[in-house]
Amino acid sequence: MKALTLVGITLSSGVIAGIILAFLNLGIVEPTIDKAIALEVQKQVSSGENVNMSELIDYRYWQKAGAFAGGAIYGAGLASLFGVVFVFARSKLPGKNNKQKAILLAGVMWLVLFLMVALKYPANPPAVGDPDTIYHRETLYVGYIMISGLAALGMAVIWIRTRINSKKIIIPLMYIAIMVTAYVVMPSNPDKIEISMDLIQTFRILTAITIGVFWGTLGIIFGSLWDKFLSREQTLAAKLY
Amino acid sequence: MDKLSYNLYTPKLTHTEMSTTKQSTVKALDSLPVAIGFLIAVLVFTMFVVGYDQGQLFSVVEGQSAYDTMWIHELTHDMRHAAGFPCH
Repeated sequence: MKALTLVGITLSSGVIAGIILAFLNLGIVEPTIDKAIALEVQKQVSSGENVNMSELIDYRYWQKAGAFAGGAIYGAGLASLFGVVFVFARSKLPGKNNKQKAILLAGVMWLVLFLMVALKYPANPPAVGDPDTIYHRETLYVGYIMISGLAALGMAVIWIRTRINSKKIIIPLMYIAIMVTAYVVMPSNPDKIEISMDLIQTFRILTAITIGVFWGTLGIIFGSLWDKFLSREQTLAAKLY
Repeated sequence: MDKLSYNLYTPKLTHTEMSTTKQSTVKALDSLPVAIGFLIAVLVFTMFVVGYDQGQLFSVVEGQSAYDTMWIHELTHDMRHAAGFPCH
């Protein structure tokens, strides 16, 4: 496949999957965000803070509309990583066609880059999170993603180089051992939770589902486009030579 | 050399040469290492925008006030929460 085609299908599949994610979030996740913001405002009002409601409404409009731009940007970014990994992993991935391979890889990436990380640093709705600790929490979050991602990458390399199949069972266990160690060693989220845990748990489950759907959609679109453009390029090459 | 003499004395590329130049530019861009480098750059930039920016990007043009308005933070706010990134 041509490199420019790779960039094209990677970015377009990411943007499409990201916009689908934004639509899903609008129907599924946004109600919990609205509830959390209402609780946040209630708390501010009861503590005597002056809340400018019209400014808040403007902000919410901007934030909800921005979720589509955010989805497209988020999708393009994760698809870029997905595209790079797929290029190197494609020949080693099981599957009858590239769509199946892409869906499998997307599932693994959701598990490694979202679910494993969420066990230690789960998603939180608004009303949870101290602005003073934001950079600390961002560093912990990105650090944990990198630990999980690099550990999985290392295990994949070992998996490919291990010739005796019976020994391969140890490899996922090694990844789990690394993640358990990271879970124990890495500091916890320093912020206190002061709103209903039910709301937070609902938010966490819903976001895990929608992000899972995002990865699945990305795999389906990317794999389909890969198969389509690869066969088109092969047909064109056969005509030319 | 002034602009006129530059135009006069600089040999113009023939159609074939221009086409060869274009082809080699496209060929240079259409290489796997360039594509991978570009995709990694997209990954880093987009993750900064969605998951990290607290006014840093707009501060380049808007100055210190960008850290108060946080336009990009507000724009990506709901997606930031939904994607699991820390916020506030």
